Amino acid sequence: MASSKILVKNLKKNFGSLEVLKSISVEVAEGEVVCLIGPSGSGKSTFLRCLNRLEKITAGEVIVDGHPISDPNVNINKVRENIGMVFQHFNLFPHLTVLDNITLAPVELKLMDKEAARKKAMELLERVGLADKADAYPAQLSGGQKQRVAIARSLAMNPDIMLFDEPTSALDPEMVGEVLEVMKQLAKEGMTMVVVTHEMGFAREVADRVIFMDEGYIVEEGTPEEIFSHPKEERTISFLNKVL
Amino acid sequence: MAVLDVLVKYYPSFLVALGETMKLTVISLIFATILGVIFGLFKVSGMKPLKVLANIYIDIIRGTPLMVQTMIIFYGISQVLRPYGFSWGDIGGSFTAGAVTLSLNAGAYMAEIIRGGIEAIDKGQMEAARSLGLPYGKSMRRVILPQAFRTMMPSIINQFIISLKDTSLISIIGIRELTQNGKIIAANNSMMVMAIWVAVALHYLVICTVLSKVAIMVERKVSYGKQ
Repeated sequence: MASSKILVKNLKKNFGSLEVLKSISVEVAEGEVVCLIGPSGSGKSTFLRCLNRLEKITAGEVIVDGHPISDPNVNINKVRENIGMVFQHFNLFPHLTVLDNITLAPVELKLMDKEAARKKAMELLERVGLADKADAYPAQLSGGQKQRVAIARSLAMNPDIMLFDEPTSALDPEMVGEVLEVMKQLAKEGMTMVVVTHEMGFAREVADRVIFMDEGYIVEEGTPEEIFSHPKEERTISFLNKVL
Repeated sequence: MAVLDVLVKYYPSFLVALGETMKLTVISLIFATILGVIFGLFKVSGMKPLKVLANIYIDIIRGTPLMVQTMIIFYGISQVLRPYGFSWGDIGGSFTAGAVTLSLNAGAYMAEIIRGGIEAIDKGQMEAARSLGLPYGKSMRRVILPQAFRTMMPSIINQFIISLKDTSLISIIGIRELTQNGKIIAANNSMMVMAIWVAVALHYLVICTVLSKVAIMVERKVSYGKQ
């Protein structure tokens, strides 16, 4: 596939003697939304974190946007500018205002001057519905608001790819919707997204492809329809029975 | 009253000595902070040689008394380096030697404070910064250190207080700061030692109390988003 954004071949990841990922191969096309589901400890988050080298891979190949990110000679900072990441615990910078959280990286990396970054940040805040919170500190926001700011912060770098690591798992139930709404919007605009999630409804509605992982393997993958309505593998069926 | 007479008579020398104490403290703390940041960063760097270097430095300083360190730096270094034309006398004498000693001493403790402060910051902060494309150094400077310094402030001020009082030990090599000044005055007025030493103590007490109060104020201000 010529337009493959992410190409993962035989990826292995060990933590000491523990094998967390056992030979994973995945390809993600431009504009595709892939949801990773599976029980805790199945390696979903570790896999996601290998895509921008937050985890060093043990063996195999990860090629993002044509950059072999496992190659020590590749400028990982440059590659990361193109890959947004949203964390379960938001990881906003608590000592900076919402606006400064968003403008920090573009300004520090000299991609924009202060004024341009500010303008862009305000647009993004508008888009996630938080323009009135620009001068607030993260501590003054609710969980859902924090996560929306975190998404805006990633988008400020104009990434081609967005990685989401259980973005709604730390949220109170009533705040899940507002975050998923922003993500849906992004998907609609054609962003390439890899989402680790427990929100089966979201996966079913938004994903182009769903990957079910267990014990460091990809057990099954397919369209949401295939995975949720006609799962073939025993383990997929038993997992879905528990969560649906 | 004789006691008051003596104190009044010597008060100008107290002020000069207090100035000397403060100068020694402030200069040492500036260098100690620089050393502390450098070696604190070495310790969290994940680069083995830097870590080992920092550990050796910190272990040596923590494992020896300040007064012995003073002796080694003032007398020992001048003996060893004299053949090469070095003399403390050329570069400010015992004051410089004292400042060097105190900087090295406080620097080691500061390094530990800074290491602790950095390690106390949630790992996700560094990950978030790095995933935005910020290099390690920029992430440290713009994201980790500003947060770490806020939480470290009380410990840093505590170290300031300790270093301030440690200047009294440095007087052993002949710097006329508060303690040495007290010693000289007391030697000449042996009937009034109590009054003289209490006067010396009060000087330290006042400065340290002020610093403690500042520490408490700072501690209250470290929470974010409530300014």
